Amino acid sequence: MARDTEVLVLGGGSTGCGIARDLAMRGLEVTLVERGNLTEGTTGRMHGLLHSGGRYAVSDRASARECIEENRVLREIAGHCVEETGGLFVKRPEDSDDYFRKKLEGCRDCDIPARVLSGREAREVEPYLAKDVERAIEVPDGAVDPFRLCVANAVDAERHGARIETHAEVIDLLREGDDVYGVEVRHDSGPGKRTHRAPGTTEEITADYVVNATGAWAGQIGAMADLEIEVRPSKGVMTIMNVRQVDTVVNRCRPKGDADIVVPHETTAILGTTDEEVEDPDDYPEEQWEVDQMIDTLAELVPILEEARTIRSFWGVRPLYEPPGTGTQDPTDITRDFFLLDHDERDGVAGIASIVGGKFTTYRAMAEEIADHVCAELGVDARCRTADEALPGSENLADLENAMDDFGLRSPIARRSKQRLGSRSREVLETDEPNPVICACEGVTRAEMQDAIEQSGSDLNAVRIRTRASMGNCQGGFCTQEMAHELHPEYDEPTVRDALDELYQERWKGQRHALWGEQLSQAMLSYALHATTLNRDSDPAGRDGDLEYGAFDAGPDAGPDADADATDRTPLDRRADGGEDR
Amino acid sequence: MSDADRPIDERGIDAGDETELERAGDVETAGPDDDFDPVQVFPESEDMDLRPGADDCYKCSTCDTSCPVAEVDDEFPGPKFQGPEQWRLKRQEDHDIDETVMKCSNCMRCDGACPSDVPLSQMHNTARGEYVQKGMSKLSVEYWRNRTLANYRRLAPLAAMFPRTSNFVMGLGPVRWLGEKLFGITSEREFPEFATETFRAWWAKRGGAETSRQRAKEARAERGEDGAEKRIAYFHGCYANYNTPEVAKALVRVYEHFGYEVMVPEQRCSGTPMFANGMLEDARRAAETNVDELATAIEEGADVVASCSSCSMSLRQEYPELFDLEGVDDVAANTWDAVEYLQVHEDLTGELEGASVEGVAGMEDFAYHAPCHARNQGLAGQTREVLAPIDGVEVHDVGDSCSGISGTYGWKEEHYDTSMKIGEEMFEHMEAADAEAGLTECPTCSMQMGHGTGYEITHTLEVLEAALVGAGSDGGGARPDR
Repeated sequence: MARDTEVLVLGGGSTGCGIARDLAMRGLEVTLVERGNLTEGTTGRMHGLLHSGGRYAVSDRASARECIEENRVLREIAGHCVEETGGLFVKRPEDSDDYFRKKLEGCRDCDIPARVLSGREAREVEPYLAKDVERAIEVPDGAVDPFRLCVANAVDAERHGARIETHAEVIDLLREGDDVYGVEVRHDSGPGKRTHRAPGTTEEITADYVVNATGAWAGQIGAMADLEIEVRPSKGVMTIMNVRQVDTVVNRCRPKGDADIVVPHETTAILGTTDEEVEDPDDYPEEQWEVDQMIDTLAELVPILEEARTIRSFWGVRPLYEPPGTGTQDPTDITRDFFLLDHDERDGVAGIASIVGGKFTTYRAMAEEIADHVCAELGVDARCRTADEALPGSENLADLENAMDDFGLRSPIARRSKQRLGSRSREVLETDEPNPVICACEGVTRAEMQDAIEQSGSDLNAVRIRTRASMGNCQGGFCTQEMAHELHPEYDEPTVRDALDELYQERWKGQRHALWGEQLSQAMLSYALHATTLNRDSDPAGRDGDLEYGAFDAGPDAGPDADADATDRTPLDRRADGGEDR
Repeated sequence: MSDADRPIDERGIDAGDETELERAGDVETAGPDDDFDPVQVFPESEDMDLRPGADDCYKCSTCDTSCPVAEVDDEFPGPKFQGPEQWRLKRQEDHDIDETVMKCSNCMRCDGACPSDVPLSQMHNTARGEYVQKGMSKLSVEYWRNRTLANYRRLAPLAAMFPRTSNFVMGLGPVRWLGEKLFGITSEREFPEFATETFRAWWAKRGGAETSRQRAKEARAERGEDGAEKRIAYFHGCYANYNTPEVAKALVRVYEHFGYEVMVPEQRCSGTPMFANGMLEDARRAAETNVDELATAIEEGADVVASCSSCSMSLRQEYPELFDLEGVDDVAANTWDAVEYLQVHEDLTGELEGASVEGVAGMEDFAYHAPCHARNQGLAGQTREVLAPIDGVEVHDVGDSCSGISGTYGWKEEHYDTSMKIGEEMFEHMEAADAEAGLTECPTCSMQMGHGTGYEITHTLEVLEAALVGAGSDGGGARPDR
């Protein structure tokens, strides 16, 4: 029976996109489906650490070795997603000397370059480090933008012929007897790029082989075909600081524990994290105390954090897994290694494998191993090339450095734009059109925005993860409407309005956990601007259908009851204040 | 010994430790309500990390709307970009500051406009310093022109030695033409005249501190005060010394009238023109002398007063923001504008009740312009309020426009037009006011006011002198030794 595609990958995170790229480069026909935007699950909710392996050097040397190898590979193939910040494991007086020694030995045993710095030397590297930090181990940690990396994998997969469908939720696994042969998906707005208000459709996609790369959601997918997959989702909180207090990754040098890392990430610094098992990866409590406690603990390493501005917090869910019967109690003890579950071997159901566990830094190596498995299953003999060929945006980065072209942009804006776009800079930024800055916090220009819209349809969150627009200190208060304007005239007014509401809501969601001090002022100003200046708290134009003049102004004779009655109000009325109506 | 066995810390071994301990100490003493304390990125460098200052910005753009340069120059991105936005986008290893920072005139209005205490001018000053240090060729005419303008004081003593010759030569058309062509100094302006006798020369001839102590004592006796000594250290700055000693003399006489002993410590340029030109190294050297001398005077019981609003601004705000010098906070906390000090410490209004300048030449109606740097110190309404009780003088405030010259800014050929465009509103208001003369506390605002209207410009202290000391008094009266 002819199938729609050779391989169907479920999940548009780093693993799924990595697998899609790998298989597409090997010449296989690949389709990937993702229920939301790329990275929307766990990939977009991590702290952006490119592991040197140092964090695993004591407890899990196999993972440590794998990390340092992949760290080196990603610097080569994904230069425009990686910032070579370096990292420190810092030791406070109360932290164990013995563990410090073990950490250093572990790094050296795993071929992770490591150097000991005195407290003073460490503070020369990072002036805001606490003055009682005694010493530190310097390792080649880095920072990586998971959005950019994941999108680049998807784009390259498409270049090699893959079909990538976002906003396509799997609603059923197609199983006949002991054979899984595809899925049924619901397209939020029809297949292809997302357009708000386009009617949803469903589609059956059949495949020779299905790869379930949905991470923490793998159990839910498996259940659709009566496959039991024991993922143990574990949540972790991360808080984003408004500016970079550090330019180096700062880890606490102690065995394990919450709140032990600060990662410089683009214009911000991300604090991480906690580890707590949850039942449902889509529904778990997000508590303020988790944020407070994390800031307090990390302020022991970087005291300025105590008073610094946070712009938002988010929770991610780790797709932890351990083979049945292991019975680990504490989620922090569950291995970070990944598992390929061949359901044929395991459950006697052919045509599908699931990937669980694993970590972002080694996504490529995982993808390679899974692609090898898929090739073996399908009887294809093709070599993996993902470690040798640069991702789109990372080709010939040295040429870009040497070209010194600023494309008419002011210096930090040119610098940040070129960093985001890498080798695509010229193609995107060279324009005869006016190229104003749309997002001033992150320095994103119209040209970059338009390039992202071309890839994303009317989905402004997809534009956001490609450009960082609306991810700065105003969290979109000043630019979401400018971003939405960029959709016009290609998209009509109601579509633009929906896209704006959706982005604004998403930006609000993370700020709820940062509402004190400066971010509270920011949120209030954003609210005032959107509610009053943009009239978004009760804009009759936001309602469907034709408008009477009286909807705006019933005239001087109208009494207080003449205002639109409550039932006539759309959820829009609640949107400007960020009320969750979706 | 393996690496892991190295001593925990080498504190005390390395000579560089002292700096580090001081720095650490600063962080520790900052209370929870204090603003962040920027750290020097490398112990021995001037590079400061001001990114945390961007935390206070919530992008409201009030600074941009109050920026006089942005108002007339569409190419200028404005203080929000120059300050918090540019800093936030910066990484430790980035050194390419956008060149438009040189278009900022350093009027510092953005500081006053910001509702959220973003350290805007500190960010601008630091960025400009970095731009000049790393982005501007040390061989360029622009660099040397700026350095000369910023260090005008270094040339001034020479001119002051031969004031008449200098004034004659600088006034010559061909010299000004050459100045513009070779050096980028606008030929539109006339160079300020050098006085035939500097204030310090006059001060020394008059008997210096000893004479002042005597006169102060007499004045206190006459006023029936109980003999407690009152003492100020006068920071006259460059302009009052070399160009307008009459302002400095007025300050001395007014303060002595109130029974203050005036000290005139050794001093160098306040640094204002150096900050504005990104010459932070030069400014730091000058600040070291000034802080040292003024801190000593404070220890001797004096408060510091300045007659130039940019000098007091510099000592009060820019020094502690930019330089980590011993005593810098002390100096900042004890420095005052000269008129402000009297208003706070003396019954200035009572004293001026019924005083008159009627019949004193040039003391009738004034069009008053509050300099931006006075405005930033909260002193915009002060002159009008203080002079109100004096008979025979009417002060017309010309509003809150900026004069546009901003020190050396308006002297540069490339900024002259911008400077005059900014000043236009002030000129119009001056001409509309019912006065034929101008009044202000800032030397370069005074140049601009004169340049735009042709009016004679007076300093507030000169009016106080005429009202309180008058002509022919013991102190020598109004300008007896001119």
